[in-house]
Amino acid sequence: MRVLIVDDALFIRRTLKMILEQNGYEVVGEAENGLEGILKYKLLQPDLITMDITMPQMDGLTALKAIKKIDPSAKVVMITALGNESTVKETILSGANGFIVKPFVQEQVLRGLSAFK
Amino acid sequence: MSEVIENEVELEEDTQKDKFLTFFLGDEVYGIEIKFVTEIIGLQSITQIPDLPDYVKGIINLRGKIIPVIDVRLRFKKSSQEYNDRTCIVVVEIKEVAVGFIVDTVAEVLTIQSQDIVLPPQFKNGSHYQRFIKGIGKVDNVVKLILDCDRLLNDEEMNSLEELSSGQSK
Amino acid sequence: MDNDDSRVPMSDLFVFETNQMLEQLERLILDGEKSGGLKASINEVFRIMHTIKGSAAMMLFNDISCLAHSIEDVFYYLRENKPLLVDYSELTDLVLQAVDFIKDEVRKVENRESPTGDCSEIRKKSGAFLLTLQVIDPASKDISLKSLDHEELQHDIDEKPVREGQTKWEAVIFFDEDCGMENIRAFTLVHELEELAEDIAFFPKDILENDSTAEMIREAGFKVVFATVNSSARLEEFFAKTMFLKNFQLKKTINLEESIANSVVSDNSKPSSLQEISQRGESKHSFISVNVAKMDMLMDLVGELVIAEAMVTQNPELQGVTLDKFYKSVRQLRKITGELQDTVMSIRMVPLSATFHKMNRIVRDMVRQLDKQAELQIVGEHTEVDKNIIEHISDPLMHLIRNAVDHGIEPAEERIAQGKAAVGKIRLEAKSAGGDVWIVIKDDGGGLHREKILKKALERGLIHQADSLLTDKQVYSFILQPGFSTKDEVTEFSGRGVGMDVVSQNIEKVGGTISVDSVQGEGTTMSIRIPLTLAIIDGMKVKVGNSIYTIPIIAIKESFRLQDQNLITDAEKNEMVMIRGQCYPVLRLHERFNVQQTTTDLREGIMVMVEVDGRSLCLFADSLLGQQQVVVKALPSYIKKIRGIAGCTMLGDGSVSLILDVAGLAY
Repeated sequence: MRVLIVDDALFIRRTLKMILEQNGYEVVGEAENGLEGILKYKLLQPDLITMDITMPQMDGLTALKAIKKIDPSAKVVMITALGNESTVKETILSGANGFIVKPFVQEQVLRGLSAFK
Repeated sequence: MSEVIENEVELEEDTQKDKFLTFFLGDEVYGIEIKFVTEIIGLQSITQIPDLPDYVKGIINLRGKIIPVIDVRLRFKKSSQEYNDRTCIVVVEIKEVAVGFIVDTVAEVLTIQSQDIVLPPQFKNGSHYQRFIKGIGKVDNVVKLILDCDRLLNDEEMNSLEELSSGQSK
Repeated sequence: MDNDDSRVPMSDLFVFETNQMLEQLERLILDGEKSGGLKASINEVFRIMHTIKGSAAMMLFNDISCLAHSIEDVFYYLRENKPLLVDYSELTDLVLQAVDFIKDEVRKVENRESPTGDCSEIRKKSGAFLLTLQVIDPASKDISLKSLDHEELQHDIDEKPVREGQTKWEAVIFFDEDCGMENIRAFTLVHELEELAEDIAFFPKDILENDSTAEMIREAGFKVVFATVNSSARLEEFFAKTMFLKNFQLKKTINLEESIANSVVSDNSKPSSLQEISQRGESKHSFISVNVAKMDMLMDLVGELVIAEAMVTQNPELQGVTLDKFYKSVRQLRKITGELQDTVMSIRMVPLSATFHKMNRIVRDMVRQLDKQAELQIVGEHTEVDKNIIEHISDPLMHLIRNAVDHGIEPAEERIAQGKAAVGKIRLEAKSAGGDVWIVIKDDGGGLHREKILKKALERGLIHQADSLLTDKQVYSFILQPGFSTKDEVTEFSGRGVGMDVVSQNIEKVGGTISVDSVQGEGTTMSIRIPLTLAIIDGMKVKVGNSIYTIPIIAIKESFRLQDQNLITDAEKNEMVMIRGQCYPVLRLHERFNVQQTTTDLREGIMVMVEVDGRSLCLFADSLLGQQQVVVKALPSYIKKIRGIAGCTMLGDGSVSLILDVAGLAY
C-alpha cells in the first residue's frame, strides 16, 4: 500500500515512515503542510494519506476537503492530538476515513491502518 | 562496546609497556616512554615565533598540522649545538596536544623492565633538568635517563596548555 | 547493549526539532511583545505547542507534553473565543516560563539524561490563567456535562417504526484500548453507517458534545441501533473495516440493559513504546550532523588543495612556455577549487541571528526586574561567523548587554530629567568590514565616568597618578582589567567585579579584541572585532631576514620605498614617515619579531602601509615576495596568543609563514 505522510513535524513524519516501511507499507512521499499535501497527492496518487490537522500554511482539514473534492474515494486518515475533538469531528464530516490519536505507538498505527488493507 | 575499546586500549598499552625510545643529548642517553611518541622526523624548516622562551624554537608543518618544536638541550639549560643531519624531531602527543622535541639524534627502541628502573637520587642543588627525570634505567650497564614526559611540558607550560585546550575546544 | 544507541537518532531528532521550535516561539513572543500584543501570533504559538506536545508524548516525556498541552489549551481558548480582556504581559511570562522549562528538559535529553523536571507549578499557573480568561470573558459558555439518559434512547428507538424490508439491528462496539477519542470514533462510525442504514440511534448520546463519553465507551462499549435492508454479512464487513474496532456484537434484538451486561471487555494487547519501535531498525534522516573535527579536516584538505594548485599552476618550470590549452584547463581548475573553498567555508558559517535574539530575552527580563525601560534594536543579525566563534561570543555578549541595561540605561525619571526619551535604546549591531566581523553594542545611557575609573585605577595600582594625559579610550579600557568595577552596589545581573575581564578574555580566545568608547551622559559603545579565523584570505608575503610573513591584503593601503626627506625621528627615537602631509609611525618588523640578518636601512627595504580601525602605520620589511591566497590556521595551542600574530599558514614549499594581525601591531 502506497502512503503519503502529511505532517509539519519532521519527528512525526520520521516515526510514521519508520513504522510503515517496516511493516510492508510503501511511503511514497512526505509533505510538510496541507498545500504540499494536496500537490503531492495529485502527483503521487497514493492509496492512503495520513494527515496531520494542525499545520502551518494550510491545515489538515482544508487539505482534506480539497483532496476529497478531487477524489471522493481518496483514503485519508487524520493524525490528531488528544483534545482536538471538535476539529476531528469536522474532518469526519468532511470525509476523513478515520483518525489516529497522538501519541501513538507502532501497534496502534498498524491496527488502525489494517482497516484499509 | 565500551568494554571492547577498553580491551583494545589495554592491549595497546600492553605491547607498549616497558618500551622506551632512547635518544642522545651529547653523551647522555635519554628515554621516552614509547606510548607518547607518535613519530620521528628529520629536521625541517622551523618558523620562528617572537615573544616565546628560547627553548620554543617555533613551529613546523607536520603534514598539514602545525606543531610547536622545543629544543630539549635548551629546555635542560644545556649549551645549544648546531643542528646537523643527525638532528631529529621526536613528535610526542600529550593530552591530545602534539609537540616536537629536537634532540641530537635518536638511538633505538629499548625494553627496560620496571625492576631495572630506579628512582633518581635527589640532589638539593640538583641541576635544572633533574625534575624532568622520572627514573634511571640500566641496560647492559649503560645508564638511560627516563624522561617524565608529562613534566617536560610542565608547570607553567602545562597550565597554559590545559587552559588553552579547554578554551579552544572545537 | 544497543538499547540506548538505537534510541539516539530519534531523541536527537526530537532535540533538534524542539529546540528549533522553542527558538521560533521565543522570537514570536518577544516580537509580539514589541509590536504590542501576542494577538497576531496566537495561531502559531498554538501550533508550536501542539507539535511539541505531540513529539514529547511520542518520546514519553510526559512533563514536557503535559506542559505544552496546558499552554496549548490557553491558546486554543484564545483562538476560538477571541476574548477581549487578556493580560498579554502575564501570558508572555507564562509562555516564557514554559519555554524555559522545556528548554531545560530538552537539554537533559540532549545530554542523555532523563528529563525529570516537574512542570506542575507552571501548569497550575497556566490553568489559573485559562480559568481567569473564562471567568472574565462574557462569551464563555457553560461547559458542564449534559446528563445521560438511557430512557431517552430507548424512547427514540421505539418511536421509529420499522419500514418494510428493513431489519432493526443493535450493535455493541468496543474499540481498541488506547486508540483515543472513542467518542469521536463512535461518531465516525455513525457517520459512515448513515450510508448503509437509517433511523440510527446510539448510546451514549452526547458523544459530540461531551468528551467524557469517551471514557464510558471505553468501559461499557458503544451501542448503536439502526434499521437497514443490508444483510448481516454486509454489516459485519462494515464493522470489520472500522478503524480500531476491537470487537462488536450484532443482534436483532433491542434491549439495551441486557446488551450492556453481556458485553465483555477483553483485551490483553499492550502498547509498545516508541523506544521499542526505534530499536527495530535504523531510521533514515534527510539531514546529518557532522563532526566538527571532520569539518576541520575537510577545511585543511581544501587548504592544501589550494596550495597544491598554486604549486602546479605557478610552477617555475612552466615559465616561458606557451601553453594555451593548459591555462584554459587551469582556469577551470581554479574556478572549481574556488567554489569548493567557498562551499566548505560556508558550511561552517552560521548567522548571528539566533545568538542576537537571545539578547532580546535578556533585555526583556531585566527591564521587568529592574523597573527600567529599554529596548533592544538588532541590526545585521544575518552576518555570518564561524560556528566556533558563535559558541565563544554568546556569553560575552550576554554580559555586555546586561551591563548596558544595568549600568548604562538610567531609570526613566532620570532620563526624562535629562531630556532623553524615557525608553533607553540599546543597539546590537553586526557588520563585516575589512575581512573582520564587528559586533557593536551601543547604549544611550549615562556613559562611563572618567574620574571614577581613574580613581579606581589609582587604587588598584594600574596607574600611579591621576594622569590627565591619558586619552578617554585608554581610561575606559581599564574596565577590561580583572576585578575592575566602579559600580558600588551589586545587582542580580551584573556588577560583581568579575565580568569585563572575563568578557575580554573570552573574546581574545577566538582571536578577537574589544574596545570601549563612551561619552558621559550620552552612552557607551563596546566594539568587538573578530578576525575571520579558519578562512582563506588574500595575503601579501613579505620577507624579513629568513622569515616570510603574510600581511592580509585587505589591510594594506600601499607600499613604497622610503625617501630620505620623508623620515622623521622624534626625541625618543620613534621613527615616522611623512606622506602627503600625514605622519605615520614606522614599525620595523625585524625589531618587533627579533629577526636577525636583515636589512636595517629603511631606504633599502620596503614600507607597507596598513590601516586598521582608522589607524595607519608603516610596516618595514626587507622586500615584497608577492601575493597569494592562504589558508589561515591557528597557532598550536601550546603557544599562547602572541600579540601581532593572527595565525599562520603553509606556503607552497611546505614551510610555515606567520600571518600578521595588523590591529595587534597597531595598538
